[in-house]
Amino acid sequence: MAEAAQGPEGFLPLTPAVFHILLALADGEKHGYAIMQEVEDVTEGQVQMGPGTLYGSIKRMLAAGLIEESDDRPDPTLDDERRRYYRQTGLGRTVLRRETERMAELMALARRKHVWAGIGSRSILT
Amino acid sequence: MRGRTAAPATIDLSVRIYTWFLAAYPARFRTEYGLHMAQAFRDLCRRDFQRGGFAGMLTLWARTSLDLARTTVEEHIERGLDMNREKFVRWSGWALMAGAVLFAAGLIIGSFDSYDMDPIGGVDAFYEIGQVAGLLLGHLLFVIGLLGLRTGYAGRSGSLGAGLLLLAVFGGVVSLGGLVGMSSVEAGWLAWMGGYLAMTLALAVFGIVAVRRRVFSRWNFAPILAGVGIPFLFGIGMVGVDSVSGQAPEWGAFLAVVLTSVGLILIGYRMQAEAGRTGEVAA
Repeated sequence: MAEAAQGPEGFLPLTPAVFHILLALADGEKHGYAIMQEVEDVTEGQVQMGPGTLYGSIKRMLAAGLIEESDDRPDPTLDDERRRYYRQTGLGRTVLRRETERMAELMALARRKHVWAGIGSRSILT
Repeated sequence: MRGRTAAPATIDLSVRIYTWFLAAYPARFRTEYGLHMAQAFRDLCRRDFQRGGFAGMLTLWARTSLDLARTTVEEHIERGLDMNREKFVRWSGWALMAGAVLFAAGLIIGSFDSYDMDPIGGVDAFYEIGQVAGLLLGHLLFVIGLLGLRTGYAGRSGSLGAGLLLLAVFGGVVSLGGLVGMSSVEAGWLAWMGGYLAMTLALAVFGIVAVRRRVFSRWNFAPILAGVGIPFLFGIGMVGVDSVSGQAPEWGAFLAVVLTSVGLILIGYRMQAEAGRTGEVAA
């Protein structure tokens, strides 16, 4: 997608998988399966990531510095201690914010062009 | 009872089959994430079996098969690209080192040519041919080496550093062209020296970027060393230090060649040593 040394703008637009993973990690660190579940829940099943998509994206996001592995390991009595937990980095937070702003600008443009009337409405194109 | 015992057996079998399929991924990816992918798949199996029984498992397998097919290809393509880049950076590091040695050897051999103005192959033919071969091959290897330097390090050098590396490559190409055309085109000399000056100046300034951004894991001063000699030589040539004619003194030329060669060898050594770490990352 973009070189690591580039600024946050260089990562935009995000792929749906990267966007959803960053969004899932917005409220705290999670392991792989928890990320998959969260994405499926918040999108009401519209986005379902397989393990290959999830860990391929995680690999690239780690390399790009958007997320990092958490050093904290869960209590082995509560969870499998072999699980890896991931969390957003500062860069990841900034990139997610910029992407959200970019999408908001697009939606504002769509409203000005009367393509879309707002949340809860259907597109007049459909 | 029968349903309860069937569930873990079905899930275990599914996970075992999925683990076999993981062999299709590149080894490095599989080693790093295979265990976690299998664990996530096991969790998905449990959930989908609870929700939909065997039908749920079939749906999961349909989805997972597509995911497997798509992402194994993606990972192999990415691994191939990384390997090609890694190899290119490693080999261009060797090219830069060999170029520096050949370039210095060409200049040193050429200094023994006592008849500067005769055609190549005339008097002192060995020294003349040795000089031309050393300079030409050296410059060609510089261009390859600098391309590798830009490929491997532009991403971590910021826009200024990446621009300077591009200028260094451009200078190297112009200089090589000038060297090739020198015997037939009068402007060849100008192109050679101008290109070489641009290449080394760009390297020297890139060195400052490298020191500030820690572009290499060690020896970030090396590009300054490689780049400072020739501009220094031009500088003292212009003010005419130690010479009434305004030519740079021999000790200055020797120092410039040594500095350039040592600097380029250090950069080349770092490139081939760090090639595996230079893959520019993408999310």
